[in-house]
Amino acid sequence: MIFGAWLCLLAPAAGFLSILLAGTKLTRRQAGLLSTASVFVAFAGAVIAFVDMLGRDTADRSEVTTAWTWLEAGDFKVSLDLLVDPLSIVMMLVVSGIGGLIILYSNGYMKGNDEERRYFAYMAFFVFSMLLLVESANLLLLLVGWGLVGLASYLLIAFDHHRPAAVTAGKKAFLMNAIGDATMALGLFLAIAKTGSVDFGPVFQAASSGALSDTVVTLIALGLLGGALAKSAQIPLHTWLPDAMEGPTPVSALIHAATMVTAGVYLICRAHPIFEAAPTVQHLAALLGLATLLLAGVVALVQWDIKRVIAYSTMSQIGYMFVGAGIGAYGFAMFHLVTHAFFKGLLFLAAGLVIHRLSGEQDMREMGGLRRSMPLTHWTFLVGTLALVAIIPFAGFWSKDAIISSSLAQGGALGWVLYVGCLIGSLLTGLYSFRMYFYVFHGEPSAKVEAAAHGEEAHHGEGDLSMTVPVVVLAIGATFIGLLQIPGVWEPFQKFLEDVVPPLVSPSTGQEWLSSMISLAFATFGSYLAWKAFRAGRELVSAGAIRTLLEHKFWFDELYDAVFCRPAQMLAALLREQVEQPLVQGGLDEVADGTIEAASIAGRAESGLLRTYALAFAVAVSILALVFLVVR
Amino acid sequence: MSGPGIPWYLAVSAILFSTGVAGVLLRRSPLIVLLSLEIMLNSANLAFVGFSRLHGQMDGQIFALAVMAVAAAEVCVGLGLIVAMARRRLPLDVDVFSELKG
Repeated sequence: MIFGAWLCLLAPAAGFLSILLAGTKLTRRQAGLLSTASVFVAFAGAVIAFVDMLGRDTADRSEVTTAWTWLEAGDFKVSLDLLVDPLSIVMMLVVSGIGGLIILYSNGYMKGNDEERRYFAYMAFFVFSMLLLVESANLLLLLVGWGLVGLASYLLIAFDHHRPAAVTAGKKAFLMNAIGDATMALGLFLAIAKTGSVDFGPVFQAASSGALSDTVVTLIALGLLGGALAKSAQIPLHTWLPDAMEGPTPVSALIHAATMVTAGVYLICRAHPIFEAAPTVQHLAALLGLATLLLAGVVALVQWDIKRVIAYSTMSQIGYMFVGAGIGAYGFAMFHLVTHAFFKGLLFLAAGLVIHRLSGEQDMREMGGLRRSMPLTHWTFLVGTLALVAIIPFAGFWSKDAIISSSLAQGGALGWVLYVGCLIGSLLTGLYSFRMYFYVFHGEPSAKVEAAAHGEEAHHGEGDLSMTVPVVVLAIGATFIGLLQIPGVWEPFQKFLEDVVPPLVSPSTGQEWLSSMISLAFATFGSYLAWKAFRAGRELVSAGAIRTLLEHKFWFDELYDAVFCRPAQMLAALLREQVEQPLVQGGLDEVADGTIEAASIAGRAESGLLRTYALAFAVAVSILALVFLVVR
Repeated sequence: MSGPGIPWYLAVSAILFSTGVAGVLLRRSPLIVLLSLEIMLNSANLAFVGFSRLHGQMDGQIFALAVMAVAAAEVCVGLGLIVAMARRRLPLDVDVFSELKG
């Protein structure tokens, strides 16, 4: 088990380092293959560990391994610890498995790009960082992984560094995440100060045994929640995710859909004793998740960029996970994380096939009728859409509806608010998902589509084998992975995680099926409305104040600009005018002028006349002689 | 010990030294300046020898010999320079050579 975990962690690191060090000695193709192979080796490691774990008793499934101790001060100790338990192994399998498929896909998608090697090195680096994040056994190492995935995300969003929009989007993502990193670090410092440890065990023990005061636990939980909100693009730190779509499509699939953005959910599940000790914060997480899932759902209704629609749906689905984790349905939140990784990775990759075919076109108005010319893409995309909308029996149905029924089981005002919100979310999901599907694949083909169908690209089929294979594998996954959890029949996924993250709410089988059917009805109704609107050629949201509101994404960017950016810029300008220029720069000028002045005065003594020098010499010696005589 | 006492020798030495200094400071011909320098060096030699007699030790006399050797070397260089200047028909005036001024 331990061997598997180390293999899993170190293989992508080795891949990243060797691509980095080999430089141009590797061809672009070799770099891609090396990166892919290293991540698949990591997946093999995760599978080895998983099989080993299944062979053990449930009580024996958590293991910590220490490579070495980094720093030691009295009782305080930080080591390179890995924790292998059911929760981390689920994440390891998802990250390395989906990651491997997406990097394989990149081999075809990025072909011909000038900087392929750099791309593949970054991808392997990202997988390594993410694995470090999920395998770490202490909060400090977790924070290291947290920072490194943020860095990888920044590097990959801004991969296309000659496009200003990509660079700006990269910076935005980095800054928003830095806020989360900072709150998380503060929470961590508080935990160290109060418990004297950063290891999960002692900290969680202290939180759940009540050794910490309420205020302290709440503050720690708030710090961690800040990190989770930033990384998972939830309100109020969500504005970076849609812009992050400036990165290459496989990057969006891997980092901004399948793995990194779900890290916040993982964090809440992992640190559940802290959140349970601070229920207010946990409920806050659920409510923010609800707000995000509704906001993202309505904004997605008016977007035209295919990747942005999927990005908003990602925010929305992570909102569901936050709702699940926030009410303590950890197993279901993790389950939705896994199924979401499959179907959202699938949607992005299939969208990538479309974008690739249309040579970079992302506007859905320029698409249409692709059903006939790209049958494989059409069917896989449809599978992804059905899974996203949560139509039985596709993956999303089992996972999302489990979360919705948990909120029903939670009850009380909170439970009902969440329940109703989630149902509206289901309706919205049906609306925006099928709007996207119809615009891309149905209707009359646009000029661009016609040109592409008869162009050069069409002879290569719908994409390289390296691109179509991952799409098909993910489509199969998105169809069947949900069957790991059938309420009342068999629930191996929930059982597997139960010991590590015991759920706070568990809906009865009756509740599950009832709420599933209601939510299925909502989703189907949403899809039907999308169909009707598309047939009639109408927009889902007609022009007017509401549409303006949605097109501006509720003015969050403008608000942050006005509240944070402008004052900071004004302050900076003020400091430049009032402090920098007169004091610092002016002071420097004064010093320089003074030096020149002094030099010109001193320079007058240098007459160049030998006899003057001799006179000065003689006078000085006489004075010195007199002084020595007098002073002795 | 016969002859005049040490103070007389020192007085002569001081007069010679002052003469040399005045020569260096006042005259413009490099040749004269060089001569004046020699006078200063020799006044120092005289003082050395005088003190040597006073203390009954040979150190001062040895030092005077070393000074003579240095002075001879210095005269070689100085005269060489002056000859070189004369052959290039440069003016023999120390005030003209003032290129080192700031």
